[in-house]
Amino acid sequence: MIEPVCCVADRRREKVHQNIKMDLSWKVKDVQMRAVINQKLIETGEKERLKELLRNKLIECGWRDQLKAHCKDVVRRKGIEHVTVDDLVAELTPKGRELVPDDVKKELLQRIKAFLAQQASI
Amino acid sequence: MEDFLLHHLHEASPSPEDQGGLEEDIFADVLQELTLGFCFEIHRSCKMGQLFLDETDEPSLKFYEIVNEPGRDVFGKPPLKKQIDCICPHCNRNLSASRFAPHLEKCMGMGRNSSRLASKRIANSGMGKMDSDNEDDDRDLDWSFAFDKKVTKKSKKDKVSNNSPRRSKPKIGTKMGDFPCGGSLPSESMAGSMTSYASKSFSSAPYEGLSLEERKRLLMSTCGVISEHTHKMCTKSLRCPQHTDEQRRIIRRYLLRIDPEGRLRMRPDGSLEADDIQVDIDGYEDGDGQALRETLNRIQQWEGNTSSANPSPADSTSTTNSQEKRRKKGSAKLTQRKKSKVKPPALHVVSSAGSTSSFLSSCADTQFHILD
Repeated sequence: MIEPVCCVADRRREKVHQNIKMDLSWKVKDVQMRAVINQKLIETGEKERLKELLRNKLIECGWRDQLKAHCKDVVRRKGIEHVTVDDLVAELTPKGRELVPDDVKKELLQRIKAFLAQQASI
Repeated sequence: MEDFLLHHLHEASPSPEDQGGLEEDIFADVLQELTLGFCFEIHRSCKMGQLFLDETDEPSLKFYEIVNEPGRDVFGKPPLKKQIDCICPHCNRNLSASRFAPHLEKCMGMGRNSSRLASKRIANSGMGKMDSDNEDDDRDLDWSFAFDKKVTKKSKKDKVSNNSPRRSKPKIGTKMGDFPCGGSLPSESMAGSMTSYASKSFSSAPYEGLSLEERKRLLMSTCGVISEHTHKMCTKSLRCPQHTDEQRRIIRRYLLRIDPEGRLRMRPDGSLEADDIQVDIDGYEDGDGQALRETLNRIQQWEGNTSSANPSPADSTSTTNSQEKRRKKGSAKLTQRKKSKVKPPALHVVSSAGSTSSFLSSCADTQFHILD
């Protein structure tokens, strides 16, 4: 009546294994898909268009000026002679993400979704 | 490939945190690229020394702060109401800046047409501020409005109070409107014209009512020769071609009472001589003085001549007298001898002698010869 413990354990192990397998396959698929989508973005020129749009939006909302002021602080702190590009990237990337206004981000995401939907319907 | 993509998109992601992760990732990717580009830009400007170029220090920021006050401009200065005036370095007059350049051209005589105007102006000012200069100012539109008003006011005052020659002349002109240039005088001798002027009824002529000063002014600017036929005065310029200098001189002498006749007449008084000197402001002063001196010299000479020449006629008379005496003596002797001797035939020779003067002497001589 009572199943042997080993059997139960085996079955569970099997399931976990199956899950991991599924996950792995999905992840592989996901990576492939991302590569494909990226390819599509570049091929259609949508990526350039998105970049241009975002640049203009960020300049409009003052993101660029804010980031520049921060940049000056960083340069002053480190000394103008000792500043490297890596330092700047390390300092500016999180700050840049942080400073992007929500409406700009939402608009961009909307646009990307539209592009993906367009690609899927083809 | 396409099928796979479609499948993936429509299939829900197995893990819930991946929901909508694709869009986020794409956005992050784009943003990352932008930030990276920005970092390169900043780094470049940093290394080129351009990063802090747009920054200024506090005092200058304060100094160039934009002023936001009701009555002032952005620099905090009150608005300029007065237009900028320039002073002409040539004629020292105020004029608005916008009209300065054209005025300077006219004043200094740099332009094509202006040189003539300017030279005229200079000549006028050189002649001792003739009033034509003043009149030019009135007509000149160069002057700024305010200053112009002042000038016109002043000049009006001048005109009213000073009775300047320029203003008085037209008055004379209207008074003497009946003095246009009346043709040329017939060529006459100086004395003849003088007497003709004097004899004509000029005492009733309008210029008789003018003072000496006014006459002088009139004659300084116009020809002034009075026509024989119309009895009117020529109003043309001093160099009027219709009349000669001689005629002009005569009329001036007559009108200014410095004609040689009057002088000769009035000199004995002594009082009029001073008057004459006062009158002689005209350009003919020297000539008149010379004329006077000449006439005086002539008179003196004449008087001297009479005194020195008289003896010769007196001598001649005395000689005639003596000759007559001698003749009388001779005749007396003759008569004495006639009584004694017969009448000589030599008398025929004597009668043949022509002239009366030589007749007497020769007669006497022959008589003496005969007697001898």
